[in-house]
Amino acid sequence: MTDQNSPPVLHAEGLTKRYGRRVALSHCDLQIPSGRVIGLVGPNGAGKSTLLQLACGLIAPTAGTLRVLGARPAADAAHLARVGYVAQDTPVYAALTVGDHLRMGARLNPSWDAALAERRIAQVGLHPRQKAGRLSGGQRAQLALTVAAAKRPELLILDEPAAALDPLARDGFLHHLMEYVGELGASALLSSHLLGDVARVCDHLVVLAAGRVQLAGDVADLLAHHHRLVAPRGELDRLPAGLELVRREPAGAYERAIVRTAAGTPPPAWTVEPVGLEELVLAYLGRAAGDPTVPAPSPEAAR
Amino acid sequence: MTWLTWRQFRVQALAGLAGLALLAAYLVHLGLAIRGGDDAYRSRCGAGGDCARALAQYLGDYQNTLLYLAGLLALVPALLGMFWGAPLVARELETGTHRLVWNQSVTRTRWFTVKLLVVGVATIAVSGMASLLLTWAASPVDRLAGDRFSTIVFGARNVAPVAYAVLAFTLGTVVGLLVRRTLPAMALTVLVFTVVQFVVPNVVRPHLMPPVTVSRPMTADAINEARGLGSITGGPVVKGLTVPGAWVSGTSELRTADGRPLAQDRFDHCFRDPPRTGATGTFGDTAVCLARLDLHVVLSYQPDRRYWAFQWLESAIYLALAALLAGYGRWHVRRRVS
Repeated sequence: MTDQNSPPVLHAEGLTKRYGRRVALSHCDLQIPSGRVIGLVGPNGAGKSTLLQLACGLIAPTAGTLRVLGARPAADAAHLARVGYVAQDTPVYAALTVGDHLRMGARLNPSWDAALAERRIAQVGLHPRQKAGRLSGGQRAQLALTVAAAKRPELLILDEPAAALDPLARDGFLHHLMEYVGELGASALLSSHLLGDVARVCDHLVVLAAGRVQLAGDVADLLAHHHRLVAPRGELDRLPAGLELVRREPAGAYERAIVRTAAGTPPPAWTVEPVGLEELVLAYLGRAAGDPTVPAPSPEAAR
Repeated sequence: MTWLTWRQFRVQALAGLAGLALLAAYLVHLGLAIRGGDDAYRSRCGAGGDCARALAQYLGDYQNTLLYLAGLLALVPALLGMFWGAPLVARELETGTHRLVWNQSVTRTRWFTVKLLVVGVATIAVSGMASLLLTWAASPVDRLAGDRFSTIVFGARNVAPVAYAVLAFTLGTVVGLLVRRTLPAMALTVLVFTVVQFVVPNVVRPHLMPPVTVSRPMTADAINEARGLGSITGGPVVKGLTVPGAWVSGTSELRTADGRPLAQDRFDHCFRDPPRTGATGTFGDTAVCLARLDLHVVLSYQPDRRYWAFQWLESAIYLALAALLAGYGRWHVRRRVS
């Protein structure tokens, strides 16, 4: 699925976006290979939407560089055709019908897949004569997603795509997304704060908090390099080389911690348990939020 | 892109077309009535009747109506700027649909340019049609009244109204792009355009070409032709002197033979307490009294033969402003908006 010669889907160097004095994204470095379903997670205000809007060229960076599929985002019409984007509020033209939206897609996109669009519209129970302004939030999201998908982009960017969908529709949507990505060898970049969804469909993860990238990598690698250690109290203050403490979980006479091991480092002699993806994300988010159980010398250890 | 622009613009286009149809029907009706009046005037005049009275009656029948229509035509550009220009981009930014359309395989600049061109052509068509019909309907009266260069009539005939409409529409679009909300954009468009429409005829137009000046002796007859006499700050003046077919852009104060302004007390004497001569005319004895002082005024005016030069010159200025605004809008939509 992954073509080693194709340029990375996303390549950011020192990417920074400021709105006036507010820093939304600060010195982000990212390199995401193609053919992945990338989950972008983080708390509200972490900069997820900013990163996605930068990636589709809706906004320009304040500093640093960003290349999407090897070119500046929205560089020209040809590049626009390669990237699909659905904004968080899934905008559609209220005065136009569902059918009008498909006609718009057909006229504005050279690689438009009319069959795909019609199939999807029928699948989600929309009728071409319906006015888009009368659709429910979920239906509107489905319409916006259809327009973005039927242009057959190489990268599909979705900002909180599942937010407006009911559980059943969300399940169906994620299913179709996986199918679509698999079929086309396309990549998808989606933000979500539903860790369950991300765990289900994503094979690459970017954790964003406070405008910075906290963690990024293929899910399988990340899980292979993170462990939960259980060790006698105090032992964790002196971690061997090659181990990085992510989050400490004090519990009685023993202490538990999530650590990251550098490649090639054997796990330490303490009890080692595997870490789930959700726990892993929460550990990094907790560390970024300045959770007191996180940083190295805890008050007890200092005594 | 043309299809989408048209699809979004359809309802506004139909509303504009309906308005234009109403106006056109009335103008055709009026044009025919004016031609009837013109024939009646000519037959009365040709049959040895009182030509001056017949003319006055004929002009009196239609001049006020035509003046109201000139006012109405002055509204057309403002309305087009408000209802076609201001929402064009502002509504997209307001409802967030720009984030949908900017991610189709069409660049923003192309999107903006096509929108501006499609609706701009409609603007030209509607304002051009309205101006053409009014120019046609009023042409018999205009020919006889000789006032086509006067401020209000000038802006309501021939090409000038089209140029006004193009500027108003472009202004509305760019204001909408900057303000990003439809209603404030509409209000601001009308406000700015009104200021422009006030400033240009009063401040800019008189200077488009250096005016011709003429010194006119103030005989009793000449004084009686004026619309008013009085003294505002700066000395005694006569108001409403005309040059046939020309646009009088300035009238000096009353001057004596040596070129100095007439002294206030001498004017007051003639104005309040003139020697009785039994003269008739608008200003009666006052006119006679003033005429004896050997006065003159200096009129600056644009002669009738410059009419078309002014029409094209002013239109060119408006179109150039519109082009500048459109160019700025294109730059802004590419670089600044998100």
